[in-house]
Amino acid sequence: MELTVLCISFTVLLLIGVPVAFAIGLASVCTIMVAGLPVAVVFQKMVGGMQVFSFLAIPFFIFAGELMLHGGIADRIVRLANSLVGHVRGGLGMSNVIGCTLFGGVAGSPLADVSAMGAVMIPLMKKEGYDADYAVNVTTHASLVGALMPTSHNIIIFTLATAGMASVSVLGLIVACLIPALILTLCNLAAAYGVAVQRGYPVRGKFSGWGEVARSLAAAIPGLLIIVIILVGILSGVFTATESAATAVLWALIVTVVVYHSLSWEHFLKSCAKACKTTGVVLLLIGISSAFGYFMALYEVPQKTGEMMASMTQTPWVIFLMVNVLLFVLGTFLDMAATILICTPVFLPICQQFGMDPTQFGVMMLINCALGLNTPPVGSTQFVGCAIGGISVGEVMRSIWPFYGALIAALMLVTYVPAFSLWLPGIVLGK
Amino acid sequence: MFTRFCAALSKLSLMLAIVGLLAIIACVQYQVVGRYIFNDTPTWAEALAMLLVLYVTALGVAVGVRDAGHIGLESIITLLPVRFRLKLEILIHLLVGLFGWLMVQNGYLWTTLKWNDQKPMLAVPSGMDFLPLVIAGVLIVLFSIEHILALLQGKEVIPAWN
Repeated sequence: MELTVLCISFTVLLLIGVPVAFAIGLASVCTIMVAGLPVAVVFQKMVGGMQVFSFLAIPFFIFAGELMLHGGIADRIVRLANSLVGHVRGGLGMSNVIGCTLFGGVAGSPLADVSAMGAVMIPLMKKEGYDADYAVNVTTHASLVGALMPTSHNIIIFTLATAGMASVSVLGLIVACLIPALILTLCNLAAAYGVAVQRGYPVRGKFSGWGEVARSLAAAIPGLLIIVIILVGILSGVFTATESAATAVLWALIVTVVVYHSLSWEHFLKSCAKACKTTGVVLLLIGISSAFGYFMALYEVPQKTGEMMASMTQTPWVIFLMVNVLLFVLGTFLDMAATILICTPVFLPICQQFGMDPTQFGVMMLINCALGLNTPPVGSTQFVGCAIGGISVGEVMRSIWPFYGALIAALMLVTYVPAFSLWLPGIVLGK
Repeated sequence: MFTRFCAALSKLSLMLAIVGLLAIIACVQYQVVGRYIFNDTPTWAEALAMLLVLYVTALGVAVGVRDAGHIGLESIITLLPVRFRLKLEILIHLLVGLFGWLMVQNGYLWTTLKWNDQKPMLAVPSGMDFLPLVIAGVLIVLFSIEHILALLQGKEVIPAWN
């Protein structure tokens, strides 16, 4: 009975348009009232869910991403990417992929990535004669890699969502995401190149020489160092993940104010304000999801879903495919953080039961949710890309398949080849 | 008048949230400095950072309600005829406001219940952990009322500070 109330009230509230966090909260309140328990328990769980030290890394990463967004690093990364691959066929498309990957590493958020890189690259590509749909698709897909980068707050959200089910360390997941991020970039490069050849985009200029590469690298390095600071800081044991995130904010400030002189007071305040708002939205979702997760565990939702899926098939690869399809469908409607928080408690136990490592599951989930960011009806990254490119979502969708194919290929590789996500943590962390 | 009051309140909340966020960063940085330079890890720094983040979240949540920043499904509402859409939008704000009210009620209950206990690493009452629920709840109720009034008058709530 309680489980029915939980599921139905949540679905109805979500469908009529109540914001996800409030829908979860109200559904939890309805459930607890039916169960005859005090409503205060929901709020106790909510505050309890926010009392984890690694939780603090989330506002820090969001803040660092916002600072970098306004801090003028995008232009320098574009110059570096152009000097590296600008001369090959569809050069600007390739530069775009490399640029988005590097900026994704700096900002850790697909949305920040598409906003910063899209604003520079999409108009430039259009000016150089590339079609708007190609420019938008390349940018929106390449920027998804930001979700897998060491600065990604979604990594922290996933580790919080696994609490009580599996022990996934922030560091383990950060390291595990590196090779999949590389695979994603390679798949994106292949798609960008393939479509450029198919459409006959011209070769533009010649390789500008290693001197230009070195100069543009020197200009971009202070910004890119943020990734090194985080990785080396945590790996060497100098910082915890949370402290490294706080240091990332400090570094972002130093780079944008002292090195690049590009952050105005107005932009600083804007970044702060945006970071606070996003922090509120994301952290409320995390807090309230811990109440929701409590009910799901209490009413054995993961076990029941697992039994249902196991009754259909006992083949692991089919189960993993089913989980991916379900995640994808939910991800098209929900934001990344919400999908991670709602689906991890349900699907992680099932995948573990069929032999998937929780860290590998995390990487798979991040890529899958990122795919949802580029899919209507609620595709925030795609929406921003389309707005910058001055093109409709429908037009972009018509030529999306090669790029989608690239992402799905990366997702399948991570889902079915554990070594891609587990080999590096094994070497680096000795697990 | 009410809108102006809410706008000012929202701006003030955001300003306080910014101060809080910068203070949290300072706390965590001080922890690193304390450990490596003074060879003494301050135990209060982590506890204070974790308390402050609750307040920053509370203020951010409330401003998010006013600026319609919370993530939800909107595609279904847009398919409805305008008449129903207005009613549904009012219902959504009522539900958000209701949750805000529940936050006030239950937050107050926990705050008073835990006020005499002290936090382990910080010389403040444990009830302070739940006070943000009350603050966020009051603001959410006010901002939801503002949204409902604006909808009835055919106006839009403009974010106070972007």
